[in-house]
Amino acid sequence: MLAIRQLSYRYAGSESTALIDVSFDAARGQVLGLVGPNGAGKTTVIAHLAGLLPIQQGRIEIDGRPLADVRSATPTRIAIAPQEYAFYPTLTVTENLSCFAGVGGLAGRERQERIAECLAFAQLEHHAGTRADRLSGGLKRRLNLAIALLHHPELLLFDEPTVGVDPQSRAFILDAVKQLAVNGCAVIYTSHYMEEVEMIADRLVFLDQGRVIRQGALDELLDAAEAVETRTVSRRGNLERLFMALTNRTLRD
Amino acid sequence: MLAALMKKELLTLARDVHGMAALFLMPVVFIVVMSMALKDVYAPASRPLAYAVSNRDAGPIAARLVERWAKVDGEARELPENWQDEVRAGHLQYVLLIDPGFSAAAGDMSARAGQAKARLIAEPGMNQALFEARRTRLIATVAQLRAEVMMARLDLGVNVAALVDNTPVAAERLSAGPRPTAVQQNVPAWLVFGMFFVVASIAGLFVEERACGALARLRSLGARPWQLVVGKIMPYLLVNAVQAALMLAVGVWLMPVIGGEGLSLAGVNWAALALMTFSVGLAAVSLALAVASLVRTHGQAATIGPVLNILMAALGGVMVPTFVMPPVMQRIAAYSPMNWGLEGLLDVMLRNGGVAAVLPEAGKLLLFAVLMLLAGFALFRRRA
Repeated sequence: MLAIRQLSYRYAGSESTALIDVSFDAARGQVLGLVGPNGAGKTTVIAHLAGLLPIQQGRIEIDGRPLADVRSATPTRIAIAPQEYAFYPTLTVTENLSCFAGVGGLAGRERQERIAECLAFAQLEHHAGTRADRLSGGLKRRLNLAIALLHHPELLLFDEPTVGVDPQSRAFILDAVKQLAVNGCAVIYTSHYMEEVEMIADRLVFLDQGRVIRQGALDELLDAAEAVETRTVSRRGNLERLFMALTNRTLRD
Repeated sequence: MLAALMKKELLTLARDVHGMAALFLMPVVFIVVMSMALKDVYAPASRPLAYAVSNRDAGPIAARLVERWAKVDGEARELPENWQDEVRAGHLQYVLLIDPGFSAAAGDMSARAGQAKARLIAEPGMNQALFEARRTRLIATVAQLRAEVMMARLDLGVNVAALVDNTPVAAERLSAGPRPTAVQQNVPAWLVFGMFFVVASIAGLFVEERACGALARLRSLGARPWQLVVGKIMPYLLVNAVQAALMLAVGVWLMPVIGGEGLSLAGVNWAALALMTFSVGLAAVSLALAVASLVRTHGQAATIGPVLNILMAALGGVMVPTFVMPPVMQRIAAYSPMNWGLEGLLDVMLRNGGVAAVLPEAGKLLLFAVLMLLAGFALFRRRA
């Protein structure tokens, strides 16, 4: 569904390049884990897909069409659940959903139905009239997720969606992400938590310093991890070891 | 899409208690307080001044002076022993002090220096206009008394009092509009001030939605920069219109209830008023957008907006009328958008100006709005 080819990007005023020849694919029905240390370029990739950065070099295609054409015709085919609580804190849950639904072109009964559907999916029905700034961290994450689902997107971008939530909300979000892939969405999921990625990803792309340093199916990479760490008794935790081996232990800015 | 953006903006503003207070409550408070405080500046004769007389002359001219003075300024209070302290403290506004020998001096046509005088001794804080009015009246009254004495001596049969009454002099304000009062001046002034306070609200909300990622989300949903800009301009123009209606209502209905003078809208050209309100609103919202696109943090938004407003108000004649400013400051005031707004509204509300009369001010405001919009839009595209 998604094909990124030799994508490079340099921020204005920056001496270093944020992305260098990044190429990978994402398919419908799969969760693609995009992992890397701080400053690896994960958020820059996501920002390109969300239409927030122009393509300087390389190309991005959705079903064989340039991303710009797809975004111009139907921007809501791609949705983002960003790291931040990307909604209005003084509006209620329903008002936030209604605002983003309206901006995406939903109106009338269809808008009401989608709002109800998203409230139910994120289990926010009992908080529909609550102001967003009065929600707990977990509920805010669920509202972030609900907004992303309003327009039935085909490509969903999750940028570290479980930061600062309790284990229950985290489990809920991970289940929801898996369910969305099962329902046919292509999901790109970035996280620093390797065990999360190990739980939900079908494929993985490792980024470091703007380059793709490894990619492949989860099982292939776990096998590779065993080769890296021979004393491993179980496969659990292997991904983190592989990640550390690939990116080494040097602290990043 | 625009409807959703506008609704979001209005809901967010409605729940911003501080923003609402700055936009609606603050100008109302300023109108009420300043109109009551400055009531006497525009109607100085409405309240008798507390004064006393120290007549140290037993002559007839001094007695007549005291009598005639009382007809205009009311009965004098009893002269306290420490009257100088009372005047210095402002408990007495002034004392009319008549030197011994005043009557003889007034009847003496040689007019030598050092003669006994009638003296006006006023408290330090007396309004200059009030002081000058009484000084001029004292000169005129004494001059009239002297003329009466002279005419009686010459026995020409001239009635000086009748001559004075029929002096061929007339004074009037060339205006078909309402009488200038504190309310008539303060409503337009603080309305303009309040309308420009959208700068702080828009800048604050814009920084917040940029910081939390909501703006990025709107853009990822396909909202174009011009739609985001229009989605901000339209609701705040509506807010400005509501502000205008509220301030006029306060002037017309609230002020008389609390003891002030009511705002008169008699003869006001409504088309000109609407044009000025729209022009001020568009200038304020455009400036707000430029500032909002320029600032990066909440702190900057919370500081730059109000400071800019207060500076423009101080320079533009909102806080201090331009006519009391020195010429240099008056020339600077002519470059303040608030001054253009204020002068245009005064044209409408005091001078009964029509659309043609306010076109220069409205034109300057609209040009300013276009420049700010262009700057704001360019910055908005970079920051949004």
